[in-house]
Amino acid sequence: MRYLVTLQVNRTSYPVELEVGRTLLSVLRGELGLTGSKEGCDDSECGACMVLIDGRPVNSCSYLALQAAGRQITTVEGLASGTKLHPLQQAFLEHGAVQCGFCTPGMLISATALLAANPDPTEDEIRAGLSGNLCRCTGYVGIVAAVRSAAAELANAD
Amino acid sequence: MTATLAPTLIRQDGRDKVTGSGRYAADLTVTGMLHGAFRVAEVPHARIRRLDTTAARALPGVYAIITAADVPEVRYGAFLKDRTIFARDVVRWEGELIAAVAAATPEIAAQAAALIEVDLEPLLAVTDLETATRPDAPLVHAEWATYEADENLVRDGNLASRSTIVKGDADGGMADAYIVVKDRYVADGSHAVPIEPRAILAEWQGDHVTIWSSTQVPFAARSGVAETLGMPQNQVRVIVPHLGGGFGAKCELGFEPQVAALAQTAGRPVKVVFSRREEFLLPDHRRERMILELETGVRRDGTIVARRAHLIIDNGAYSMDEPFLGQMAAMFAVGPYRIPNVDVSADVVYTNTQPSGSVRAPTGPTTCWALEQHHDVVAERLGLDPVEFRRRNLVHEGDTGPTGQVFERIGALETLEHAAAAIGWGRPLPDGEAIGIATGWWPSFPGASGANVTINADGSGTIVTGAQECGTGAVMALPILAAEVLGMRPDEFRILYQDTDAGPYDGGASGSQTTFNNGRAVIAAATEVREQLLDLAADLLEANRADLELIDGMARVKGSQTSSVSIADLASQAAGAGLLLGRGSGEPPPTPAVETANCVGRLGAESFAAPTFFTHAAHVKVDRDTGVVRVLEIAASHESGVVINPIGATGQIYGGVAMGIGQALSEGVLLSEDGRQRNPYLLDYKLQTVADVPPIHVDFVDAPSPTGGPKGLKGIAEPPCVPTPGAIANAIVRAAGSRVRELPMTPERVWRALASTNGEN
Repeated sequence: MRYLVTLQVNRTSYPVELEVGRTLLSVLRGELGLTGSKEGCDDSECGACMVLIDGRPVNSCSYLALQAAGRQITTVEGLASGTKLHPLQQAFLEHGAVQCGFCTPGMLISATALLAANPDPTEDEIRAGLSGNLCRCTGYVGIVAAVRSAAAELANAD
Repeated sequence: MTATLAPTLIRQDGRDKVTGSGRYAADLTVTGMLHGAFRVAEVPHARIRRLDTTAARALPGVYAIITAADVPEVRYGAFLKDRTIFARDVVRWEGELIAAVAAATPEIAAQAAALIEVDLEPLLAVTDLETATRPDAPLVHAEWATYEADENLVRDGNLASRSTIVKGDADGGMADAYIVVKDRYVADGSHAVPIEPRAILAEWQGDHVTIWSSTQVPFAARSGVAETLGMPQNQVRVIVPHLGGGFGAKCELGFEPQVAALAQTAGRPVKVVFSRREEFLLPDHRRERMILELETGVRRDGTIVARRAHLIIDNGAYSMDEPFLGQMAAMFAVGPYRIPNVDVSADVVYTNTQPSGSVRAPTGPTTCWALEQHHDVVAERLGLDPVEFRRRNLVHEGDTGPTGQVFERIGALETLEHAAAAIGWGRPLPDGEAIGIATGWWPSFPGASGANVTINADGSGTIVTGAQECGTGAVMALPILAAEVLGMRPDEFRILYQDTDAGPYDGGASGSQTTFNNGRAVIAAATEVREQLLDLAADLLEANRADLELIDGMARVKGSQTSSVSIADLASQAAGAGLLLGRGSGEPPPTPAVETANCVGRLGAESFAAPTFFTHAAHVKVDRDTGVVRVLEIAASHESGVVINPIGATGQIYGGVAMGIGQALSEGVLLSEDGRQRNPYLLDYKLQTVADVPPIHVDFVDAPSPTGGPKGLKGIAEPPCVPTPGAIANAIVRAAGSRVRELPMTPERVWRALASTNGEN
């Protein structure tokens, strides 16, 4: 049984015909060609597949695509404004928060959700906010520094 | 730190990665592509009585199934050719490949793989490491004696390789010692766990194949495909899209031959993407299990007079680079200490478990963890402070190593002093908290490597290199070196890399060798271009070539403000005539001379080129009721020659320390009675999260090596995970009073050690 639904991803509408069991991650990466969200475990353990659904971070590997119909989905591809990087993306580059980059999309999504909910987080709050995202390269040092820096940048911009 | 050429280098691949536009192997799709799946043994040891693919082939959507019968019978292996790309007659570990399926969807491929009928006759499996060494143990390879092997290998039955380090007279040294301390440590295997599970996509056109693979070593993958499928290397092209980490697990030949053979049989491109479980179970690169028996004789003044050690190292079912790593472990069992009398043996032993192989600093963290605990035991028996004990024994410039190599300029002692100072060694701490320290060493690996540098008609630069970027940033830092030679900025270069048809050979993201070797190649290539630019500029400026310099994007007469021409103008002229093309490899620096007449199993690790030294100090808190260890702070001091890209180098230390903490406390392979992994998932195999990793203080000691890489630099990426587990172990005993001699030091093991009535130090 397939259902025709429209997914709203990064402010673009995508009509897709889906079987009920399809995960949001597989549809984003497959039918929609948005491969920025990564599959690291298919089990909500690593966070590499995180996307925002109506502003809340979810592991898209464990979320049915049909559930996302009618909601606003944001992936890493939707963070920048044209060629201008989001302050978090820019801070990740400047603070050495990116090495292999495979966790980066999920980290950026987690961090975006964190700063939306808490624009001035303490270091402990940053660490708690990102603890669903595994990184094997950086020891998280650059990532935490980047989130702090982006928070300050966003506060100044307001 | 000096030689800071690029204080805040922004990686060229960074924008790809933060925008999600960068493609990794699993992200690729090509026209007509099928999906592949493997059928694996799922038992540790069995004879294949019958293999029937009829039912699987009948499944709609299945295009091809291949087994050992469909590929050339070629045994391969770096030192010991003991394996084939699919099991032939016998399976020897649970992850061994039996067949591969290509189908229209991943789901059909998996279903078909499950439909393959495999009748397995169980054989006695040997999964316990000590059992494997007994004369009556079942043989993992009954036909071991028929395998082709490196002539330096010492082997016998389940003993795949023995390496010894013998120096002076260990018996005599022990007899002369004031005290002799013996103890024993046992370490579980562990995993590299890159966040990217590997993916491989193979596409044939005519008689040549292109393989997009998440490998750390594209040239080794290429030569391995050529060897196992019987074709020339120039018909195999390996391209690595962005690589999502490797940490050694994606070294050597991976699964490229199987996917290439499958695609050839199917007549269609085929992609295989590993699940997380497969990424844990199938690679032949697990960090080795080890049993370490260590014995040290010391004089009354605390100086070491003799070392004996016997290491038993799990080779797993097949030998990849593990024989070489066994010899490395023997070197690490001596450590960076002045020891006149040494007798160390390392036995690499077959078991019916996952093959061991390089995982970041292979054998380093485990051996250092055991040795540095052992050293603290010795220091305590002498009533000596652990830092003072190391101070009296660490090697200095002019000392000789375990195999007689003479050390050039080194900074081992400085790393000890710096780490101790940074952590506040000796300061009072609350009950249940303490600081531990550990020191280690690691070689650099000189080797062949090539690069091409061109200046385009508009003055922009292009570096084409065979080097492989696994995430460390080593390839991303290469423009720093080219820019310095050419008087340009690093961001004026783009790099084309990790494509075997584009760049010259390089050893890959392996052995922390990229900057060491490919940096040399890039400098050599840029230097050729520099000569071409100077020729052009000398003509144009009517100046003496020797008076010219390249600086700030210009060629100019030294000191002159007016007599100059931009590199862009020179490039524009060259575009109409002799192009600006440079190629380079440079001569690898020599490895130190050694005296190894009494050593056996010499596979190349007996000489440590441009060794790097490091000390970590760990401040921990131990909960006596639960055995939970919390790391509060790490100070890491590293002598890596010199640092040329600080953001990259400190990133390696941070990441290595985090991995080291995981290895110390939570990361271990749990084996069932029948030799199967019980925790091949991230919930059961626990990595450090951002909430776990403590503040890390990084310090670099400068000691440019006369036989190092560019500017005297040494390898940097592997060492930072080496001393962390030992420092944490030594802190645990100082905090809680009991020594934990099993790795990882899980809460249960710590609790047992504390609860034990024999919980002596």
